[in-house]
Amino acid sequence: MSALLTSTVGSFPKPDYLLKARTRAAKGDLTPEGLRELEDRATLDWITFQEDIGIDVLVDGEQYRGDMATYFAENLDGMVVSGLVRSYGNRYYKKPIVVGELRRTGPISVEWFKFAQARTQKHVKGMITGPYTMMDWSFDEHYGSREALAMAFAKALHEEARDLEAAGAKVIQVDEPALATRQDELPIVVKAVGAVTKGLEAKTILHTCYGNYDAIFHYFNRLPVDQLLLEMSNSGLDLLERFKREPLKKEISFGVIDVHSHVVETEEAVRMRIEKALSIFHPQKLWISPDCGLKTRSVEEAQGKMRSMVAATRAVKKDHGIA
Amino acid sequence: MVHTTVVGNYPRIGDSHDEQKLRRAIGKLDRGEITESDLRDVEREVVRDAIREQVEAGIEVVTDGQVTWYDSQSHIARRLAGIEIDGLVRYFNTNTYYRQPVVGSEVSRRGPILVDEWTYAASVSRRPVKAILTGPVTLASLAKDQHYGDRKSLARALSRALAEEVAALVKAGATHIQVDEPILARDGSDLGLVREALEPIAAAKGPAELTLFVYFGDVAKIYKDVLKLPADVIGLDLVEGAKTWAKVAKEGADKPLVLGAVDARNTKPEDPKGLASKVRGLRKVLDLDACYLSPSNGLEFLPRDKAREKLAILAKAAALLGDAR
Repeated sequence: MSALLTSTVGSFPKPDYLLKARTRAAKGDLTPEGLRELEDRATLDWITFQEDIGIDVLVDGEQYRGDMATYFAENLDGMVVSGLVRSYGNRYYKKPIVVGELRRTGPISVEWFKFAQARTQKHVKGMITGPYTMMDWSFDEHYGSREALAMAFAKALHEEARDLEAAGAKVIQVDEPALATRQDELPIVVKAVGAVTKGLEAKTILHTCYGNYDAIFHYFNRLPVDQLLLEMSNSGLDLLERFKREPLKKEISFGVIDVHSHVVETEEAVRMRIEKALSIFHPQKLWISPDCGLKTRSVEEAQGKMRSMVAATRAVKKDHGIA
Repeated sequence: MVHTTVVGNYPRIGDSHDEQKLRRAIGKLDRGEITESDLRDVEREVVRDAIREQVEAGIEVVTDGQVTWYDSQSHIARRLAGIEIDGLVRYFNTNTYYRQPVVGSEVSRRGPILVDEWTYAASVSRRPVKAILTGPVTLASLAKDQHYGDRKSLARALSRALAEEVAALVKAGATHIQVDEPILARDGSDLGLVREALEPIAAAKGPAELTLFVYFGDVAKIYKDVLKLPADVIGLDLVEGAKTWAKVAKEGADKPLVLGAVDARNTKPEDPKGLASKVRGLRKVLDLDACYLSPSNGLEFLPRDKAREKLAILAKAAALLGDAR
């Protein structure tokens, strides 16, 4: 693969028609087939958009997922989805409950991967919510041990990763936003993610965000994946100094777009971030990405941000004579 | 028999249409469809619901559920002079977030913080309503300080402001005051600072019963010193702080404890009989009649129906403890 590839973290905003359709479907006013048709349409739109602006490694945009943990929970035996709990302010989510032995009864996201991959010549990422995050974001009424539960998730998610690979995924991403929650459990993260990625031929990526990176830095090189996808722009690029002193032995996807800001970054601002990344990482081992999933932005904001990112990457590549 | 209480927050929405009125009202306010005063009415309705659910479950000392709190930090900080509220930061090791207070100049109390909310809650409750304050050391530790340059000075300033608030709460009629210092479960070396910051509050509390509550972990290594802190009652998380339980069982306590023994961070229901018998094991080292049984921390980490279930378990265990004597 060539240098400075562009990609995204996974989710894109759902267009208005899909948001409305989801509400109707939840009330029973729209059939699952009717909803599926609109999810297909939204997914196709996002694939087309990524192709049009020239993103190198695509995602399916997760138009069919509500919450990233709940989506997998709904598709595993041994889990139920609870009532609403608060995340912050006026935001709530349905936290899964593990009520019995976890078991994957069949492929979860594979069909969507195939749907997206069939519509582009470029690689589409297979997307898995990581075992540590699934554990940390679920209530446990069955296993009684955080490690045992994380490993049970890892077993099911490894099966999913295998199936994604068999369906043609060349890049598989494991999302672990909870990674930095408890420093004393980093060995569990390593063990559980390792159980998911073990024996995979595909390039493996681990994504995390919004944590105290300084405290977990010493674990970065131990994470059993080929590439780390890190939020960098929201952290004010503080981490770069540390990478200078303690080099990363893996590839990095460098977050250059703040997904929590409504403001669309200018091409110039993104170029400066990429230049900073290039001052530390080898272009062959550096991908360019937003900080996190873009689903909380409006469609227009997300598209604007992606355009800035791709344009800035092109400009930097030209300046540096990178093919 | 052992008393019953809660630690603070209560799920402000549930799964039924009626239980989601606050969520809808905030959405409407954001869209400009209702006024602040309309929202206040809905908040008060939910405060009444939260109190009713606690009382119906059999809780003796209740709270207003901290229904109006955006989060544990910014709710208090935004009403103090010298502080602005900034972006979201993860709250300890939970999957919840708080808006981070940023301290830009000298901190002081510019007016009542919780008095109005407490007064309303007390007016609609037939049980005592405990006023809950986030502790000065936890507030200082989770804030971003751009003025004092050291956390201790900030904690002292916050302590002075909160002591004024405690005096105002007591003047308004509060008989139960609780100060939360979860930071102490993360870093025992803060013990000295917690003591220093608690002193002005203890001096201001008058005849009210002052509880210091530490949750999200254990205080086993500093247990004896925690007991000596200037508070009438010490609240302990005995779930995540299972190690503290062993200390309590071994060394007892010379002051009343709140035994946070019902897991408020997991939906798995405890067996009330098992819980009662475990607590009964402490009667040789504790005056259980002076102690409280409670959840391990606020109930807001649970869905509303599970929170109700946990309160019922708690009350059942307390009743079983009474019956057995």
